[in-house]
Amino acid sequence: MSNSELLKLTISELAPRIKSGEVSPVELTEAALAEADRLQPTLNSFITILHEQALAKAREQEAAIAKGEYRGPLHGIPIGIKDNIATKGIRTTVGSKVLKDHIPAEDAEVVTRCIEAGAIIIGKENLEEFAAGVTSNNLHYGAVHNPWGLEHIPGGSSGGGGANVAAGVTFASLGTDLGGSVRLPGAFCGVVGLKQTFGRVSQRGLMVTSFNGDHIGPITRSVSDSALVLQVLAGYDSLDPSTVPVPVPDYSNNLSRGLQGITIGIPSNYYFDLIDPEVEVAIRKAITALQELGAETREISLPSMRYAAAMRIAGSADAIVAHEPYLKSNRDDYGPSVLYRTLAGQFVLGKDYSKSMKVQRIIKEEYARVFQDVDCIVTPTTPVTAPRIDADTFTLGGKNYQVRGPGSGMVTRNTAPTNSTGLPAITVPCGFDQRGLPIGLQLIGRPYQEELLFQAAQAYEQVSPSLGIRPSVVAGC
Amino acid sequence: MPVSKETLKAMIRDYQGLPISDEELDKVLPEIENYLAAAAQLDELDLSDVMSARLYRTQELGEANV
Repeated sequence: MSNSELLKLTISELAPRIKSGEVSPVELTEAALAEADRLQPTLNSFITILHEQALAKAREQEAAIAKGEYRGPLHGIPIGIKDNIATKGIRTTVGSKVLKDHIPAEDAEVVTRCIEAGAIIIGKENLEEFAAGVTSNNLHYGAVHNPWGLEHIPGGSSGGGGANVAAGVTFASLGTDLGGSVRLPGAFCGVVGLKQTFGRVSQRGLMVTSFNGDHIGPITRSVSDSALVLQVLAGYDSLDPSTVPVPVPDYSNNLSRGLQGITIGIPSNYYFDLIDPEVEVAIRKAITALQELGAETREISLPSMRYAAAMRIAGSADAIVAHEPYLKSNRDDYGPSVLYRTLAGQFVLGKDYSKSMKVQRIIKEEYARVFQDVDCIVTPTTPVTAPRIDADTFTLGGKNYQVRGPGSGMVTRNTAPTNSTGLPAITVPCGFDQRGLPIGLQLIGRPYQEELLFQAAQAYEQVSPSLGIRPSVVAGC
Repeated sequence: MPVSKETLKAMIRDYQGLPISDEELDKVLPEIENYLAAAAQLDELDLSDVMSARLYRTQELGEANV
């Protein structure tokens, strides 16, 4: 099998070949690193590429497999890590000038888990400055380019991860999602992005965040790969009080069960109120496909979502607290977009913070009521496809909206609510707009029921118009 | 509800906030206005008896996890 063929495979397809010795982790890592080098000038998806370190680890992992010490499906798989997740001894910048030379003393818990599972980290991935935005157009490290349209953003803030997975550089990337930052690159780059239930995966080692609604989640090329990566990441961390000691099921168990007996809720308000017509057509077709696969669909109403914007108030105040030490010591090193957006948080009044948290409760209760009647909810992941890198605004419903900085938020309209409610959500590709840019379908589930999300998403994935289509930058395409 | 730059500057001065120049306040204002609009919308709600949000109830974790 050629390198370009190898790099197109999913983890599910590669794992048995690695286990049997048919595919060498060293050769696979060499191929991934060569592809990273080839595409870095085009995509700018890495801040640091770990050539020597990745190959040394690959040799260790290959030797372990040869000794019969196979550790599971991530063993020998090249992955990327967003550069706001701490990696021991490896520069972790958080996409900022402030931390351009920062070298963590410890790995994040998720990094430890990936290493213990035998994964090979080939690089630290580019992102929005301080992970605070949706463009991944980084003032200090350059813009990440979308493999499906190089003049377009890949989404953010985990844009490097989305671009790498879509372009066949990494087989999975760990991103972080405080308002959609895993699911937006998933949708804009035509790959799968998961934000699991809040408390399911440790946040320890996630840098410069409030931890209040942030999630470390996988970006992958398939739903089954998402299940495999979550299997490694999920579980209680006694050093992270946000994690919850609930059992971790086998996420691959229900993947092939199909949609018979599954009831899917279709929101009658909010999620379809502001949407690009091309995106809506793709989502409505996906809903029809879900029905044809055997799912029952039911219209649901979420009237309290009219207050969804208020859930962001707490996040705004949280951000100023997370950034305060850096703003005091290195304010001049901030880019204007993040600086102005963050500074606004200091004006949030205590009563409004409290109300914001109470509105979260009202909205959570509303979702809980809806989930008594349906198993999951389907929405567009984003109201639009990927805006251009050079665009300050995009138009929707005849009105202009900011892409970045103060006043932005329209892009995250459909993803951010689950950061506040903590509900699990996954995006899967569901077609393209007329410019060939991917569209994402979001499935939202009950707390700690990611396996049901995987089941529904996997069933849809098999009939998605995106199935098997790769961007032209991929080797061999 | 609009807020004046003078009010914001007074808040910074009196509450030991992070200093912001006049020019910077112009850039920060849209974010503040979004916040104030979202907060004003909540005035129509009585939130006095609503619990806060962060933790799940036991039953939200599912039967197997109680």
